[in-house]
Amino acid sequence: MAFLEIRNLTRRFKGKAVLEDLSLSVERGETVAVFGPSGSGKTVLLRLIAGVDRPDGGEIRLDGVDLTEQPPDRRDIGMAFQNFALYPHMSAYANIASPLRAKGASEDEIRAQVREVAALLRIDHVLTHAPRELSNGQKQRTALARALVQRPGVLLLDDPLRNVDAKLRYEMRIELPRVLARFQTTVLYVTQDYREAMALGQRVGVLEGGSFRQIGPPETVYAEPATVDVARLFGDPTIILFRRRIESDGNGAWTEFLGARIPVGAAADAGAACLVGIRPEHVQVAPAPIPDAVAVVLDAVTPLNVRTLLLLKDRDGEEIVATCPEEDAARFPRGHRDVWARIDPSRALVFDDRTGLRLPSGRI
Amino acid sequence: MAGLELDNVTKIYRMRGKEPVLAVDRLDMAVGDGEIVGLLGSSGCGKTSTLRMIAGFEDATAGTIRLGERAIDRLPPARRNIAMAFEGYALYPPLRVRENIGFALLRGRHPRGEVERRVGQVAEMLEITDILDRYPPTISSGQQQRTSLARALIRDADLHLLDEPMSQLEPQLRAILRARIKDWLTGRRMTTVFVTHDQTEAVALADRIAVMEQGVLQQFGTPAELRDRPANLFVAGFIGEPPMNLYPAEIVADGGGPAIAVQSAAGAAAFRVPLPPADAAPALHERLTPGQQVHFGIRPHKVRLGTGDLSGTVLSNRWLGDQSHIGIDIGGCLLTAVTPDPVPGGADGTIAVDLPAAAINLFDAEDGRALFHGLQEAGP
Amino acid sequence: MQHHRQSAIARAIRGVLLTLVGLFFLFPIFWVVLMSFQTNADILRTPPSLFFTPTLDNYVALITGQLDTAVGSLKISYMRNLWNSLVLSSASVALSLLLGIPAAYAFARYRFRLGENIAFTLLSFRFAPPLLVLLPLLLYFQDLGLYDTYIGLVWVYQLITLPLILWIVRGYFEDISPDIEHAYRVDGHGWLATFLKIAVPLARPGIAAAALLAFIFAWNNFVFALILGSSDVQPVTVGALAFITASGIQYGQIAAGLVLSMLPTLVLALLAQRYLVEGLSLGAVKG
Repeated sequence: MAFLEIRNLTRRFKGKAVLEDLSLSVERGETVAVFGPSGSGKTVLLRLIAGVDRPDGGEIRLDGVDLTEQPPDRRDIGMAFQNFALYPHMSAYANIASPLRAKGASEDEIRAQVREVAALLRIDHVLTHAPRELSNGQKQRTALARALVQRPGVLLLDDPLRNVDAKLRYEMRIELPRVLARFQTTVLYVTQDYREAMALGQRVGVLEGGSFRQIGPPETVYAEPATVDVARLFGDPTIILFRRRIESDGNGAWTEFLGARIPVGAAADAGAACLVGIRPEHVQVAPAPIPDAVAVVLDAVTPLNVRTLLLLKDRDGEEIVATCPEEDAARFPRGHRDVWARIDPSRALVFDDRTGLRLPSGRI
Repeated sequence: MAGLELDNVTKIYRMRGKEPVLAVDRLDMAVGDGEIVGLLGSSGCGKTSTLRMIAGFEDATAGTIRLGERAIDRLPPARRNIAMAFEGYALYPPLRVRENIGFALLRGRHPRGEVERRVGQVAEMLEITDILDRYPPTISSGQQQRTSLARALIRDADLHLLDEPMSQLEPQLRAILRARIKDWLTGRRMTTVFVTHDQTEAVALADRIAVMEQGVLQQFGTPAELRDRPANLFVAGFIGEPPMNLYPAEIVADGGGPAIAVQSAAGAAAFRVPLPPADAAPALHERLTPGQQVHFGIRPHKVRLGTGDLSGTVLSNRWLGDQSHIGIDIGGCLLTAVTPDPVPGGADGTIAVDLPAAAINLFDAEDGRALFHGLQEAGP
Repeated sequence: MQHHRQSAIARAIRGVLLTLVGLFFLFPIFWVVLMSFQTNADILRTPPSLFFTPTLDNYVALITGQLDTAVGSLKISYMRNLWNSLVLSSASVALSLLLGIPAAYAFARYRFRLGENIAFTLLSFRFAPPLLVLLPLLLYFQDLGLYDTYIGLVWVYQLITLPLILWIVRGYFEDISPDIEHAYRVDGHGWLATFLKIAVPLARPGIAAAALLAFIFAWNNFVFALILGSSDVQPVTVGALAFITASGIQYGQIAAGLVLSMLPTLVLALLAQRYLVEGLSLGAVKG
């Protein structure tokens, strides 16, 4: 059995299920990113594990012990809240020391441990400050230090980087895994940002509609989403989808997009409606004809982070979104409207239109 | 349609018993006819005060605002001929979405058929066709925001103001709606000023971006200028996802010529980068003297990996679907690199790092002003 | 520039109006203070005049407890009344805080059966006309031996102070982010420690405001003590009745008594001001 084992967890608010039959196993020392759209119940899940909210059904076991009926102060869990939740009337030092005080540790021990975690998170110079005197980044680190200092069995992080600026966010994305490894902590990391989930989780759990739709390594969830909803939650811009029909002939089942024939695995019914999905970075666009490409019209070029977004329309008026590295954007000056686009059929994903499940891809 | 000109515009909030707050400090800005300008900054930087002064909800403490040939700073908001999308949407709850969007046109005595047609057009662009007959309280916040946008974008005003226009949009729609809105504004030559704290949004939508901080305009330029030629340390550290790698450094006279000695956060010597040769950047060599304190910067995606003289330890290496983010420790400096392709090797391995001379940025250590932007031309 | 001049005129008009309103409200207090330094003859003179020879006789009479009137000398116990007021109000507020803060916390943080009903019932005590309950209460008090005791009055005063404290402090508890308390629980502290170390300190400005308000209401109460006690336990509000004597109404002493009775609440309000304006969250939760 896994270190943290959640089985059939259900939580309803006013009769409406926010979490339903949710199950999750996390190994000791593992970091699982819990990713989902806002309102998907990510924070509720953490609160149930922490014990500050009670489930309507299911159980939570930590290292074999059933926690479900335990009060929050007897769970061996640390939690960093999204709004930091520092104690405003205590210094940063007293904030961090709080879990150790609760355990009845000696002042010497408290001082040593607070110093250690504060040094690691680079807040040792502000320990005497009150929370209102700290910058947002320092508040966030203080909250993190408080959650870490007692070396809890499980660390729950509720979107801790949401309220800090971009520079700090990227620094912490690099720093955090090392700090966590140092404490050998098992971590559930909640985020609304798919990139953060992929950057920090050894596995990513996609929470949607009250339970996990898919749990797996980040690359797998991104490249092989279980459902069309999971596929749509990843990517910026997200995957583009087109309604098509499954065709069938002597060579097996297939469907079509942008002039390319996309084989579909044997299970597909001929004539059934399907959704063809392709990620914008997998649409290759060229200013001049290239082999296997289809002529399309370029409507707009907008920069997007380190990539550039190209808004295209094909002959049937269907809107296609593509991206290219920002260096390539110079190939599409303003007013250049006639371009060519192609896809690699092996990159295309096909989903059942009715169930949303991904259909196995066929052989090319 | 017309250009907008802010001349020496200043806003000071005075409250009894408190220090006066200088929200906007002598702002000069000219927005061309048909141009899209984004005011970008963190909360409290003065961007919203500026927008409210242009709209007429706040008086400017000093300075003038001209729209086309007219000075508008003393006109009441209704007479400025400005369309605005509010951050809080400000939809009329008793009216259907359709009536909300067409409200100003109907009041302006446009024929009903034309209003219907135009409402349909903007609704299709913003994907709200299916909720046109609903009432605002019954639709999601993302849909409310799109309705509020539609209400502003449908009007033929001299100026369109958008306050955080896409903060609540559904993430899946955001990228494509930005492209469509830009297409809409450009195609109709609508002069537009929008406020945002989200640089991705600013970069995607704006022709030019005004970066503000503490009431002061830091830089006003195209997204490419901000990215490749940041005017000062603040802009350099603010723009980019992830933002520029920045470290304190000192100019030293090396054996082979002047070099940049980069220091770690702890103040120790971390690594050296040779200055571009004197014949390639003569002006730079004139400006720099050995012993001079500077800041050294390089954008994460200009860092080349697997080649070069520097060597670092990989702290993290993650493929994010369409780009890799790699954290590297070089002599105590944390360096972020972004590459379009996956990079082999996991954490704790060593990796060769090249910081191309063409991508080097230098800033004055004292006032933060940019000294050098590498050898590149400003991109598109 | 028209824009600006208009707003300057508006500012001026606003200033004048505020001054007028201020004068209107402060005038009675001003007049009472003046009266307290006048003899009855000065006060009753028509037309009234701002010019008189100030006298401290009224205050002397109150403090020495010796009231000299035209008909003769009368013993009064105004200082005793003042002391009673202090004892009754302080004790009532203290008891209400002891009972009300935990109750307010319970109402703010926990949802339980009939919770809202109980809270509203407590508030409704404030709506009931006191006279309605006074007569039966008098009979019970006499039976129980609570008539004319501090304990009895403090108990009845709970009708005034408890609902006030409960409802004001409840609002302050509700304003504290529950996450702060949850964080403390997750740290490993029990619920009692969380209540005492987190909730109560953070609600302190609210508690101070509620206590002050309750104190003032208790101080100003008249009818409970009039019926349920003798002069041994009666507060200043009732004590002032003693100045309506057979030989006439002693306006000077009444005014001086009023001034003295205003002082404690005034001092308290000034002292508590710091707590009243102190921010609630102090920036611990992202702002």
